[in-house]
Amino acid sequence: MGGLAGTVLGGTLIQMRDDEDRRAAEMRLVRAAQNGDLAAFERLYRENERKVFALCLRLSSDAALAEELTQEVFVRAWRKLGSFRGESAFSTWLYPLTVNVALSERRSRRRRDARIVPTDDPASLERAPLAPRPEAGFDLERAMAALPPGARTVFVLHDVEGRTHDEIAALLDLAPGTSKAQLFRARRLLREALGS
Amino acid sequence: MTCQEIDQRLDDFVDGALPAAAAAEVEAHLRTCALCQERERRLRQVIAHAAALPRSVSPPRDLWPEIARRVAPGRSWSWFPGRVRPVALAAAATVVVGLAAALWHGPAPARVRTVEIPAASPRTALVSATTPVSDPVLAEAEKDYEAAANALLEALQQRRARLRPETFDAVVANLEVIDRALAEVRQALVKDPQNPELTRMLVSTHRKKVDVLTRVVKLSMAL
Repeated sequence: MGGLAGTVLGGTLIQMRDDEDRRAAEMRLVRAAQNGDLAAFERLYRENERKVFALCLRLSSDAALAEELTQEVFVRAWRKLGSFRGESAFSTWLYPLTVNVALSERRSRRRRDARIVPTDDPASLERAPLAPRPEAGFDLERAMAALPPGARTVFVLHDVEGRTHDEIAALLDLAPGTSKAQLFRARRLLREALGS
Repeated sequence: MTCQEIDQRLDDFVDGALPAAAAAEVEAHLRTCALCQERERRLRQVIAHAAALPRSVSPPRDLWPEIARRVAPGRSWSWFPGRVRPVALAAAATVVVGLAAALWHGPAPARVRTVEIPAASPRTALVSATTPVSDPVLAEAEKDYEAAANALLEALQQRRARLRPETFDAVVANLEVIDRALAEVRQALVKDPQNPELTRMLVSTHRKKVDVLTRVVKLSMAL
């Protein structure tokens, strides 16, 4: 096979081989970690920490808490590592664990969070007021943090993380219709924030 | 179709989840309605903003050493919801004190129990511990957190002129809320000293206070 089709197919095959090599290398690290090799687990941590932290940060809207949550995710991952059989990528296996840790923590802190609303970003108070063109300065992260927790969770998982309603429903143990309703609510509030 | 009905279908329309006939109806309405066009434009903008956000964010500090300590052989505890490990507590408090000292640029902070910030606002006194906790390790860690917070407060006091008054007032107001929460948790711990959730809340609230102070002091140094 020659020409463009051959080039594309060749590129695809190389990509597939790279993916297989990566998965095999990852599985070797997992097996070593399952046998107690902490250095191997650290490599798994280093490869996944940024994604886990980003998700924790957006689900919690609290940088200090996101650090604690990230640590908790990997501590629990270490303990559950024996159940990982390599049927998916390690990051895929880590994903529901991360969501579960973040949401469990939110439930346990809900009462306290209602009382404590610290200034997480004092720098924001020092910034000059937005120019008359609000959309130019639209801070989605900040607007997301102001969403009701349920709506924020679904918005983060759907519109930021790219999960489907069926996947979100399975992750959060709710009906897909509820996921859609929460997304609708979140987007409506963000639309309003964008226009204010 | 009314604008309200269109608004109800706009999400599915933008997500491509509407059947062809319904999508055609929405499209026809949008061609003639400026209000719904604007709603659609904003919705697409929100979705585009979200999709463009980075899915990877580096933590501001290395989280691995704490993880490694917690998963080391022989350890079976968890930061939450179980008991707080005394060594980790002490280590965390030590790190916080070191951080506060570094920002303070002064001698090692003394364990000041109460610091007052002279301010135009009547809200000046930042309350410190009044009800001691019974666990000696926790009490010691609390002292370290308070020392760190007080050192940072002094640093803030020295630099407050660099901050806008609204910033300073907002920080003080938030610290007062945190201090009230600390007092409440501490009182609850007196009644239920073995409650791991309360212990965790106490430590976490201390960390929150130091975190707020660290951020505002760093900000004042950068201005």
